[in-house]
Amino acid sequence: MGIVGVPPLHIMAALEKCRATLFDLDETIVRRDMEETILYLPRVYCAILRTVVINSLHLDLQAIIMDVGPGKCDCALHVATILADRLSIPVLTTINRDTTPYGNPLCTADMPLPEKIAQICKSIQSTARHRELPACLPTAAFWGVPPRDFSLLALFPNTTHVYGWTRCMENKTPADLRLESLYNAAVPTVFFAQSFCAKTALAKHLADKHPCALFLDNDISAGSSVRAKIQAFLELSGACHASC
Amino acid sequence: MLLADFGTTYAKFIDLAAPEPHPYLEAAKKIKADLRVDMATGHNAKRYTTKYVNELTALARGGEYLINEPDFTLLDCGSRDIKFIRYEKGKMADMGWNAECGASMGFTIELLGRYYNIDFTKLEVPQTSFSVTCGVLGISQIFDEITTGCDETQAVARFVKSIALNAHRFAGEPDRLYLSGGLCANPLFVRSFPGTVIPLGRFVLLRGLSVVAGMEASWP
Repeated sequence: MGIVGVPPLHIMAALEKCRATLFDLDETIVRRDMEETILYLPRVYCAILRTVVINSLHLDLQAIIMDVGPGKCDCALHVATILADRLSIPVLTTINRDTTPYGNPLCTADMPLPEKIAQICKSIQSTARHRELPACLPTAAFWGVPPRDFSLLALFPNTTHVYGWTRCMENKTPADLRLESLYNAAVPTVFFAQSFCAKTALAKHLADKHPCALFLDNDISAGSSVRAKIQAFLELSGACHASC
Repeated sequence: MLLADFGTTYAKFIDLAAPEPHPYLEAAKKIKADLRVDMATGHNAKRYTTKYVNELTALARGGEYLINEPDFTLLDCGSRDIKFIRYEKGKMADMGWNAECGASMGFTIELLGRYYNIDFTKLEVPQTSFSVTCGVLGISQIFDEITTGCDETQAVARFVKSIALNAHRFAGEPDRLYLSGGLCANPLFVRSFPGTVIPLGRFVLLRGLSVVAGMEASWP
């Protein structure tokens, strides 16, 4: 079964009950040329949703459950329409409006950022309560969605707190705009969105309001200038030394 | 100690162990592959050194040293990319680096100058500009201007002004702007900015490297 976004808890509970093998189609599972997607989508389109299309085309799936609406994005709704039209398997859409907060122990934990966000992504596949973790004192913050290229996360210190939609994912309230808009003004923050994603507007807006922020967008993979921007920002803002 | 800023078109060097250190330029295509320097910045730097400093850090450290003001915006316009750093109350407040969209501006201006044999010191800043996203797309706009009867030199001047306005906008439209990089040597480009522009020349990143190396005193 393929899932896209954060489907509602009752759906995830049903999938758990029938012990379905889940594939998070937002993640890079199938490594194929992204140019394959131009048969289905415009070339200039969100890399996460292009990844969803690549995974959907090449994985042996019985069905796809795509969350669309305020907990994901309009683009996902349109991609769901395209996949339903072009694939022979059922493509079911959900609109997640869950409001029960699960908390954010991973977002505030002392842990390498790639591992932290990978665990948050994995956590959406379970309805179990999160394991308690001690919160660390933050020296930096990452606001945004899990990037398509996780390698850019390796540049951050372990004491990076996570905000934005990734925080909503861990909290299992993906449509909570208030939580998504939260940031810590006392900590240097990178506001990240995928290029061509509607969330770039919110990322830029919040970065403009934050006293020490870097607005960053990136498409498929993180190039040298994106890495250098993050490194320089963390170093010059005092969040991280050149050696970290 | 040999420091270098490996740019796309030129590399800039300074040997701080020399009795009277002074920076110098070398065309990038003439640099030997086996050259090794003690510390370097620039997009080709990792090929020539084990001690790499990223360009924005070098720009910021050079700016802090040379400008010595709590509030300033420093914009670096090179061949391939543009980058800026803005300080408020002595601390970094904003920064940006545009290496993809909006790129190749300096390279394109140099290319056009040679192709049309233009002396940029003799050109007046044109009244009008046009909308350009990057060097490559801007060339199409120049050709469009020429086909509608605009003089070639005038079309290039408009292009240069458009690039300057883009760069100014990218840096947050400051009233007072410190400018570094190869385009400091283009008087039309410098005069095309709105507001006050203070050119600092090509060696600001090199200066930043000397600060990072803790050897700024060796280069008065």
